[in-house]
Amino acid sequence: MINGLVQLLVWQGLGELVSILLLPNIPGPVLGLLFLLAFLLIKGEVNQPLGMVADSFRQHLGLLFVPASVGVILFLPDLKTHALAVTAALLISVVLTIATTALVLKFFAKRTHDE
Amino acid sequence: MMNERLPIAEIWVYLSGSPLFALILTLATYQLGYTLYVKANRNPIVNPVAISVLLATFCIYAIDMPYQKYFEGAQFVHFLLGTATVALAVPIYRGCSSLKGKLVPMTLALLIGSAVSIGSAVGIASMLGAGDNIVGSMYAKSVTAPIAMGIAERIHVSPTLTAVFTVATGMLGAILAPFIMNFLRIKPWWIRGTAIGVGAHGLGITRAFSVNEEAGTYASMAMGLNGVLSAVLLPVVVNYLRS
Repeated sequence: MINGLVQLLVWQGLGELVSILLLPNIPGPVLGLLFLLAFLLIKGEVNQPLGMVADSFRQHLGLLFVPASVGVILFLPDLKTHALAVTAALLISVVLTIATTALVLKFFAKRTHDE
Repeated sequence: MMNERLPIAEIWVYLSGSPLFALILTLATYQLGYTLYVKANRNPIVNPVAISVLLATFCIYAIDMPYQKYFEGAQFVHFLLGTATVALAVPIYRGCSSLKGKLVPMTLALLIGSAVSIGSAVGIASMLGAGDNIVGSMYAKSVTAPIAMGIAERIHVSPTLTAVFTVATGMLGAILAPFIMNFLRIKPWWIRGTAIGVGAHGLGITRAFSVNEEAGTYASMAMGLNGVLSAVLLPVVVNYLRS
């Protein structure tokens, strides 16, 4: 387990370094993700300790954004005033996003079938 | 009487000053939420994150603990977000083999889907007069939370509100997606999976995996790719729109 965590931290560190030095617009962890992905594609397999840690992170990803989300307490008055705007924006947007993505894919799937 | 109460007060001062209290609060409320979620057959309405945030927020409000104080302790959990982002490379890699011949349609669908997501959320929120803080935090809400918060810092909007909107989006998407798909009569699992991965990220994936393995794999891929594309493109687009 520690082995997998070390691997992830090293890729993260490398990502942070490149982000600071070369690509300040892209978050370091995202660069770390890309480096690790490239590494995995070259190696052709996920080593077992890495796979284990990655799976447990995926399973409990939600826990990690609890501390930041509790900060909602600072925005409660603001959110209360704009409750309608926030609800409408979130609700309509999520329906449109899922519907559009699905329809675009359906369109392409149909076209490749026709050819 | 006073002598008996004093030690407790001292212990309390010690505990609330150390990171331990915030860590226990964060982990215990999440554990409780997760147990309820599993008991409810992983119904997306019983979201462990939402339960944890509600309980923890209520607790620090009730004991009058400033958020900054709470965060000083909870930051150890928060720090792992970056590491978890790097770990997303693994599900993306595992899904790569199923991507063959679908890379172009998937990328196009992701780009159009994200554009619709951002355009509609930002448009509606600003039309209804929500403040800059809220409107700005709508940009990254369809991206998986760890990446969304990274983007929020880059485009100088509140990572907190972004995280909250992201969790809300995930819940709504996971609940509504099956109805939307059935209404549009979309049957192929890979399309259903991809759409839910773009629209409802992490929670959508969990939902997709519980229904169908193929849908889950595509949802993971879509979420990862969407996160990476958004992280690269969003700061550029937002800076362009603002200038």
